[in-house]
Amino acid sequence: MNDNICPWSRVNHLIIAAVICFAATSSSPALAAPNQIFYESRPAMGTSFDVYLYAPNRERASQLFEAAFDEIERVEAALSNYRPSSELSRINASAADAPVVTDPEVFALLERAFVYSQKSNGPFDVTVGKLMKAWGFFRGAGHYPSSEELARARGQTGWQRVKLDQRTRSVFFLVRGIEIDLGGIGKGYALDCVARVLREAGVTAALISSGSSSLYAIGAPPGKAGWPVRVPDPLDRTRTLSTILLKDQSLSTSGNYEKFFQLNGQKYCHIIDPRTGRPVEGMLQTSVIAPEATDSDALSTAVFVMGPEHSARLLDSVAGTSAIFVTDKKGMGRVVQVRWPNQAKNAAQLIKTEER
Amino acid sequence: MNRRSFVTAISAGTLGTAIFARAEKVFTQEKNPVAPSDQVRLGIIGAGSRGQEMIRHFLRVPGVHIAGLCDIYEPRFAATRKITGEETPIYRDHRRLLEARDLDAIVVATPLNLHAEHVITSVQSGRHVYGEKSLGLTLEHCNKIVEAAKQNGKHFQVGHQYRYAPWFQEVIQRVGKGEIGKVTHIYGYWHRNASWRRPVPDPKFERLINWRLYKEYSGGLTAELGSHHIDFANWVFGAIPESVTGSGGIDTYRDGRETNDNVQIIFRYPGGRTFTFSSLTDNAKAGAAAWVYGKDGSVEVTMADAIFYYEPKRSSPVSDVMEQGVRTGATYSIKGEMPYRGPGTPVKLPEGAAGNPNFLACKSFIESLRNNARPFADEHVGWASGVSVYLANRAIEEGRRIMFADHVRIK
Repeated sequence: MNDNICPWSRVNHLIIAAVICFAATSSSPALAAPNQIFYESRPAMGTSFDVYLYAPNRERASQLFEAAFDEIERVEAALSNYRPSSELSRINASAADAPVVTDPEVFALLERAFVYSQKSNGPFDVTVGKLMKAWGFFRGAGHYPSSEELARARGQTGWQRVKLDQRTRSVFFLVRGIEIDLGGIGKGYALDCVARVLREAGVTAALISSGSSSLYAIGAPPGKAGWPVRVPDPLDRTRTLSTILLKDQSLSTSGNYEKFFQLNGQKYCHIIDPRTGRPVEGMLQTSVIAPEATDSDALSTAVFVMGPEHSARLLDSVAGTSAIFVTDKKGMGRVVQVRWPNQAKNAAQLIKTEER
Repeated sequence: MNRRSFVTAISAGTLGTAIFARAEKVFTQEKNPVAPSDQVRLGIIGAGSRGQEMIRHFLRVPGVHIAGLCDIYEPRFAATRKITGEETPIYRDHRRLLEARDLDAIVVATPLNLHAEHVITSVQSGRHVYGEKSLGLTLEHCNKIVEAAKQNGKHFQVGHQYRYAPWFQEVIQRVGKGEIGKVTHIYGYWHRNASWRRPVPDPKFERLINWRLYKEYSGGLTAELGSHHIDFANWVFGAIPESVTGSGGIDTYRDGRETNDNVQIIFRYPGGRTFTFSSLTDNAKAGAAAWVYGKDGSVEVTMADAIFYYEPKRSSPVSDVMEQGVRTGATYSIKGEMPYRGPGTPVKLPEGAAGNPNFLACKSFIESLRNNARPFADEHVGWASGVSVYLANRAIEEGRRIMFADHVRIK
């Protein structure tokens, strides 16, 4: 069990631990502070989930960790497209034959994902499953598809080719071969579910993250205004692009460095533009703050595909969102901010910061 | 207490064929297909974590509607209504739920000590029942559930969902046909590294939420985890045990709990066959699995898959040591003693057919109702594992070998 106080050595992504550690050291018995911070990390959903939470003692923290990770397991068991026993696998296997009835929770998440497809007019599309496979990003390290492979995958992609029937809570694929992949929204959804479980258990300060992609902050460390979170500079991830404070909010980041392969000097990232069927080019990183992680997760993927020039309306459609883009301009970064709470630092490689 | 008072005469005919079945594909037959749009209205008694999970699975079956929720812990109503997606009627007393007219069947997912009362009153109200395992806390509870289902002519399905997993069914078929030779041993384990204690918002809810830790309500690890393995062993061997011994203790989590945090149980079956079960809560390396050992091979069955392994053919099992033409002994080599660490042969399943055992069990129960067909995991399947759980816990508690014939009788 990775159950540590003050986990400096394990902070390898977005989370800044300075405030966490100060708070933890102040909770010595002499000060009779009610809570200490505890940390645990476990693998799930193809990444690692980290939970930092304040609890009165280790025993209570252990119970909360169990409840949190049980909830992640529950969500993964339903939404994973890597598990043949998942509800999503059942839908993918059968929905081309006949409408598949699913439970209200899974149906609601699919509806929410398809609303993003509709709002973005395609760039966010959970039917990219076959395109992800064609480009070798499902259980693989990347692969340049032949034109035939690409054409076949594109023929089996498209959110308009899925019929969701609210009355019967059913999913029907209008084209055989469609595969739903919730990779662009599922981890954020899992964070929201964990946040609900922890809140119901009485937790008032916690930070939950899924790999380097999304995190959600419940409340703030005692005496602090929020959880400090570092958004890295995508050109040198040891450097900081921006530091923000999160409180009852989520932050999701999509980057071209998460999964990619290189061929003939060209970098192909795992975020596919469903409109072209090809990996997105010209974008290094997007980060989105939103009240819920389901939204920030979907939005960071969507605006990564759309680019800063075309994302305003989508970002405006969800209250409380803000975003920061780093686009690739001939190997240099260009930063664009949309309602971003802090001015990005002018890291050496970043040539220009714009506010939209 | 007179131990003989526990003796129950359950005839082989009453026990039915299910626990002895060599598993044909057991999805219920569609004798009179009913349109999936025809609603089956379920009432839920016990809307805790397990009840909520079963609701999710039942709602994935076309035509199922959750028509009532019963619990005694108020926060569960709102949580469960989120899962049903509607303002499902709520009840704080199961008798009021059973008075509702619009219920076709009841799902019982309450603590083990309440199974008997809730299942029996449900079938007496004229409803079919899906009841969580283990069947009942005591022999008397188990027996009364079997009798009540029979007397009221209602279908009962016990929550041994792995009976509906295709890979389990295939293992039973292939082992039954002799693919791994004569099976004499099964090793089953469910090892976790967690206290099993759940967060409690207020100490007054401790026993309500952590009921698994208290003997008044729970059979502990043997019932909550081991009953699946016990049912599997009963299924493979086509029998119930003859005797049981066991040990266990509260050795890691001395936090006021009453049920053991580790158990080790040995069941002996007719014909010199043995099932050994272990459950730990402080090491999860082994996870949850069952190994079926036969003379010609082994099969490992987990919650998600099954893998066959075959014993090497040994025409000459040992090499003789010869000294001046005289055989003086056999060479010793660790080669044949090392565990096999190579790949096995996984059970192959058609894509998309693996399914979730919970969903498949729920779907099969609904089909049983629509087709008026006896569930495969019926009350007799539940009785066989339920009494085994109970007697195993007694063997641990009393520190002695318990003979099943002293407590249950199969004519």
